[in-house]
Amino acid sequence: MSGAPLEQFHHDAQAKAQDPAHRKTIRWAIDTYEASVAKGKTRFMNWEEARQRCYEIKWEAVNHLDRYLEEFEANVTKRGGHVFWAADSEQARHYVVELARARGVKRVVKSKSMLTEEIALNPGLEKQGIKVWETDLGEFIVQLRHEPPYHIVTPAMHLNRAQVIELFREKIPDDVTGESHEELVAAARRALRREFFAAEMGISGANFLVADTGMIAITTNEGNGRLCTSLPRIHVALAGIEKVIPRMQDLATLWPVLATVGTGQHITTYSTLIGGPRTAQENDGPEEFHVILLDNGRSRLLADPERRDILQCIRCGACLNACPVYRNIGGHAYGTVYQGPIGSVLTPALSGLEQFQHLSYASSLCGNCSSVCPVKIDLAHHLLHNRRNAVAEGARPWRERLGMRLWRWAMSGRRRFQLAGRLARTVLRACGGVSALKPWTDFREMPPMPKQTFRQMWESDKNLNAKDAK
Amino acid sequence: MSTEESGGERANGDRVNRQNRGAREEILRRVREAVKKAAPRLDAIATGPLFSPIPNPLERFQTECAANFMETILTPDRAGTAAALRQVLASLPPGEIFLQDTPELRQLAPAVQERSVRWSSEGGPAESSQATISLCEALVALTGSVLVSSMGCGGRGASVVAPCHVVVAHAAQLVLDLEAALTHARQIAFDNSYVGLITGSSRTADIEKRLIIGAHGPRRLVVLIEQ
Repeated sequence: MSGAPLEQFHHDAQAKAQDPAHRKTIRWAIDTYEASVAKGKTRFMNWEEARQRCYEIKWEAVNHLDRYLEEFEANVTKRGGHVFWAADSEQARHYVVELARARGVKRVVKSKSMLTEEIALNPGLEKQGIKVWETDLGEFIVQLRHEPPYHIVTPAMHLNRAQVIELFREKIPDDVTGESHEELVAAARRALRREFFAAEMGISGANFLVADTGMIAITTNEGNGRLCTSLPRIHVALAGIEKVIPRMQDLATLWPVLATVGTGQHITTYSTLIGGPRTAQENDGPEEFHVILLDNGRSRLLADPERRDILQCIRCGACLNACPVYRNIGGHAYGTVYQGPIGSVLTPALSGLEQFQHLSYASSLCGNCSSVCPVKIDLAHHLLHNRRNAVAEGARPWRERLGMRLWRWAMSGRRRFQLAGRLARTVLRACGGVSALKPWTDFREMPPMPKQTFRQMWESDKNLNAKDAK
Repeated sequence: MSTEESGGERANGDRVNRQNRGAREEILRRVREAVKKAAPRLDAIATGPLFSPIPNPLERFQTECAANFMETILTPDRAGTAAALRQVLASLPPGEIFLQDTPELRQLAPAVQERSVRWSSEGGPAESSQATISLCEALVALTGSVLVSSMGCGGRGASVVAPCHVVVAHAAQLVLDLEAALTHARQIAFDNSYVGLITGSSRTADIEKRLIIGAHGPRRLVVLIEQ
């Protein structure tokens, strides 16, 4: 284990955990979220049954992925759309960039898509001189700040209004008419409206790929997703291969559950299904429709039955909000596209265990992530499995391996244990701490070493109690 | 890729397609191989209905709409609908109105006579449209949603481009829940490039979790229900 991601993570996590303003913003956002979700869940007669149904839909899809992907592809093609299969980020990016070049695209409007972050699509398009606008308000804000999304559902959760005012005054001064929440939203609307009508290409993600009708399902509240997929003459949708679901009817469960855990809504404002370019009889809509199906390591996860259910994730963000580590260090400290517990189990699988195994330890193993997951992914155990796998692959540092061996030796005999305890106490007393404890002792006082061992205290307590009894 | 491309671009397109066929076969092969190994599955639990029964669908629809910043107006007949429409339009700033071109909405044309009108038969709505007026596929009591489609409801822009979207509906179009709405959607899925549920006005809570109505889509969504 070595390298920048780990050190960067330690540095950023520590900085954020000690930043009171950041903590305040995140606490407010997540408290507000939790209140809405608690209210939203009361609309279900039995929330656990809803989770079970979502689990079963996604289990069925993921475990018969080949069948549903082929069905989806055949139906999209029948509708006059194009399906492109991309084995990795490079292929997906190349396809979109080449398509844009071949069609003379100068401006692109995008609705929110974590997958385009995964494949670094925007930099690829911008290198060709194509202007790309993120149109979801949160995404627009972080794009103007040259930051990655902070959260997979609420990209600008870490910012307060004052920061947005300052940003808009600098970047889109002509559109800003005031400083209230309403006026800031109106400013973004004005700035982006021009782009919606001028763009030649709209890019979206997909929450679900519906196999039985060859349609993609997108959920948005702002309407930006609708505009991105209705006004430009080309629509490109990107999705991971795990996004496919068998039937349109499955959305009767998935849509309200996703909305409830995502934001606490009963159903998202625009629950949209798109399946192809405009038909000959339709009066508007894109002339071309392209869907890119991305593997990028997903089939590797699929091949491991123990980890296969990670592919059932619907990217609702619930596990991020539930995680005590996320709440303390925030989204950017992870240094990954996907943050929080799902990011910590997904990133090592997609980008390499060696480099990202430290994320398996960005957890208290409290299990809150597992308990909130609407598709019942046991995230806490996946984190444990990743720890185990890292050990099995010999990917842990030599100091830890040696330490563990010594620990095992010391723990497996009473005399050895006593000897080791005495040694450890002497060293700690002499040095006042060890460097391995620094992240903890830098912010907390080291408790004084007790004079007696537990065994000695036990013995003297027994004597004391015996005296009291007399 | 289109037929008007230059030779170089076509060659490039062919290369992309070849690579794509290879990737397709490779991904599907890996997927087929992977799912041969069975994965554990949680025990099934008996699942009943997810939501409580709805005794009065129309009332429920209206309650859901009101809770979600949507306006509903019940009208007794066509003349009542025309009057309600006239009233809604009178509250809007001057400017063009977009209408879905159907015999039903042509009947309502007198209500919008004072304004310049663009019909869906002429294309999509203009950027400056003040309102779009369309029919719907169904109304969903459970969620207070409107089911719309591209062929049946004036196109894709008709429900999202203008600051105000007026839906002309019949009480008979009311369905109970999402299952019923999606059953309808499934029947028309292959005739439409777009089908969607719209539930309330466009909104965002991206700044400090404060809910703001009127982001990129309509600020007002008005449903006229003829009984």
